[in-house]
Amino acid sequence: MQKLTFRRGIHPLHGAHEGKLPTRNMPIEDYVSDSVTLIMSMNIGAPAVPCVKKGDQVKVGQVIGQASGFMSVPVHASISGEVTAVEQIPYLGPAPVMAVSIKNDFSDTWVDDLKPLGNVERVDPKLVIPAIRDAGIVGMGGASFPTHVKLTFREGAYCDTIIVNGAECETHLTADHRLMIENSERIVDGLRAVMRALNVEKGVIAIEDNKPEAIAAMEKAATGREGVRVQPMVTKYPQGGEKQLIEAVTGRQVPSGGLPIDVHVVVLNVGTCAAIADAVIDGKPLISRVTTVTGCVREPKNLRLRIGTIAEDAIGKCGGFSETPGKVFFGGAMTGLCLPNISVPTAKSTNGIVAFNEKESRSKDESPCIRCGRCVAACPIGLNPYQIKVAADAGNFELARKLHVNDCILCGSCAYMCPARRWLTPSFKFAKDKLAAEAKAKAAAAKAEQKGGKAQ
Amino acid sequence: MSLRLSTAPHVHNPVTTQRLMICVIIALLPCTAVGIYAFGLPALILVAVSCVSAVVFELLWQVIAHQEVRIKDCSALVTGLILGLNLPAAAPWWVAVIGSGFAILIVKQLFGGLGDNFLNPAMAARAVLLASWPVHMTHYVAPTFFAGTLGFDAVSTATLLVTKSAALQDLFLGNIPGTIGEVSKIAILAGFLFLLVTKTVSWRIPVVMVGSVALFSWAFGGDPLMAVLSGGVLFGAVFMATDYVTSPMTPWGQVIYAFMIGLIVTLIRQFGSYPEGVTYGILLMNICTPLIDRFLPRHIYGHVKTEGKKEAKQA
Repeated sequence: MQKLTFRRGIHPLHGAHEGKLPTRNMPIEDYVSDSVTLIMSMNIGAPAVPCVKKGDQVKVGQVIGQASGFMSVPVHASISGEVTAVEQIPYLGPAPVMAVSIKNDFSDTWVDDLKPLGNVERVDPKLVIPAIRDAGIVGMGGASFPTHVKLTFREGAYCDTIIVNGAECETHLTADHRLMIENSERIVDGLRAVMRALNVEKGVIAIEDNKPEAIAAMEKAATGREGVRVQPMVTKYPQGGEKQLIEAVTGRQVPSGGLPIDVHVVVLNVGTCAAIADAVIDGKPLISRVTTVTGCVREPKNLRLRIGTIAEDAIGKCGGFSETPGKVFFGGAMTGLCLPNISVPTAKSTNGIVAFNEKESRSKDESPCIRCGRCVAACPIGLNPYQIKVAADAGNFELARKLHVNDCILCGSCAYMCPARRWLTPSFKFAKDKLAAEAKAKAAAAKAEQKGGKAQ
Repeated sequence: MSLRLSTAPHVHNPVTTQRLMICVIIALLPCTAVGIYAFGLPALILVAVSCVSAVVFELLWQVIAHQEVRIKDCSALVTGLILGLNLPAAAPWWVAVIGSGFAILIVKQLFGGLGDNFLNPAMAARAVLLASWPVHMTHYVAPTFFAGTLGFDAVSTATLLVTKSAALQDLFLGNIPGTIGEVSKIAILAGFLFLLVTKTVSWRIPVVMVGSVALFSWAFGGDPLMAVLSGGVLFGAVFMATDYVTSPMTPWGQVIYAFMIGLIVTLIRQFGSYPEGVTYGILLMNICTPLIDRFLPRHIYGHVKTEGKKEAKQA
């Protein structure tokens, strides 16, 4: 079959096989730690509100944090045992987050009110999206957008294609790869459940061609399933970027500032699909996920971690560090988020824990831009990164906006290619955040003015 | 244990500015070798003086201006080498020093250093030298190939652009009068191949520029092959028009830039009072580069009218 792709893009760590070699043949191992710490803000939108207190006994799957509004999902206990703390903890961002810690009693008792809906081909389509919401499912590819929100369309919008994102274009990660090999049926079940819920006829499972085993396994699982097909993709970063994948598979471009549904597409990560199948078929909430633990650890592995596992425990399960780490991050090397220390817990979107040794972690100094154009040739969006960088560094965010910085997906391709090691992506993130804050302040001011006008 | 915090990406392509510059230097080695072989010791001295003085001027500026010393990026060495190869072998050594000084101090550093110069330093220096010492700069000698002497007993000749006759074989091998670097087309092509294989430059600018020169020479009634192989067209297309700093960054921008250079070169050659137009063609288009980069429209993802938008409008 013809392999599809998008324009431009890069091949990060090409010679090193994207850092995936140590784990690509490692089967998924279950791992349950002594304790977990579940943060309440595991989704984009409003954080969940803790509904347990210190000393409570909780069972696996019990709601410990309630959703607070539409853009919010509940958090469930991922192990059974005693709640040891409900408190603010420092996390990856600047602000501390609310978290519930549980000490494992290793009885692994589940709550007894699970509501399995059974076979996805016979389930009442109306029950699927509520089940997804109640199971606390968010986008597991890294964005952690609440899945039920993604599947609830505004008036007049419709979806004709669901793309399952099995590209896994990030470096070092093989969690999705292994999931596709080992749980292929579940992924197709999850896809079918959503297709039926939204009355969509086309389901496309898109996988980069550096994962032939996953393509074969998914093709086998998709055989005989209505409307489902597997689409091999060219191995290129960021193939798994939502916008790039949509363009590659359907030829449509999500309009600037818009959503995939504007071009009638919904993209779901393979992990999300498997979680949806668990929620619909077994009624089980999202309490575990596959995470690749790799880099300078003794035995790199793919672990099925309970949500909230402390990074240190997961690394310990992999034999600990093989050398002194200089940097540890969640996710792949192109977009991963650095951990301040290794006592940070994983979340629903943690697809990888990667440790870099001292040498790999050394930061490079910026040198002058030589205008070589490698950033322009790399940008999957078609921006001129060097121009935006000049504007952003000068504090001219308005100019950066005019140069379409808001269309930047922060994939890091330009910064990866830059021979002068310029910090392009960080500058763009800063500019985007600034612009978003400005727009928010403006909207708030306009609202206040309107209110004031009405009062008079 | 203390961990570093940094923003993504956490990995980088191993290609650095320094490595790119070294690639250009390696690509220039065949031309340099043939040039020195063809013109003997004076050529070697001239190229060496040019290289050393360029690096020394850069170092001096950066020390005096209290800037970080960045001569390790090899960009000054590239400028010096290209300038040296752009001189006729018979030029006196001080011409190389003045040229390097002008290139590094005036053209490059006064405008902000590496990346901020709007003209190719070596090209601009050559233009200044050409205007200031026209006799030295156009005193071409025929290659001696170390034939007996190391001195300048060689016969002074006009370049082919004036005589308009030479065997194709001589053009390829370098048995023609001209500047040190431009004589052997095979050596230039070998350098180009190296630049392509190492992905240091794209094929666009050299190929389009050479094609454009051929096209317009043919259109103006000349011999396209002769036009491309004589003078500095090939050397300019491969090593000077491709200068990152002074050429456009977008693929289509590069095509327009290179095409226009070809047109200007041919216009100067056919209708101007100078026999050679490569220097001015490149310099004029260097000036246009910011305009091309700024005004050439680009297709940005999500800004084209898509099927979705059309349907939304109909609805």
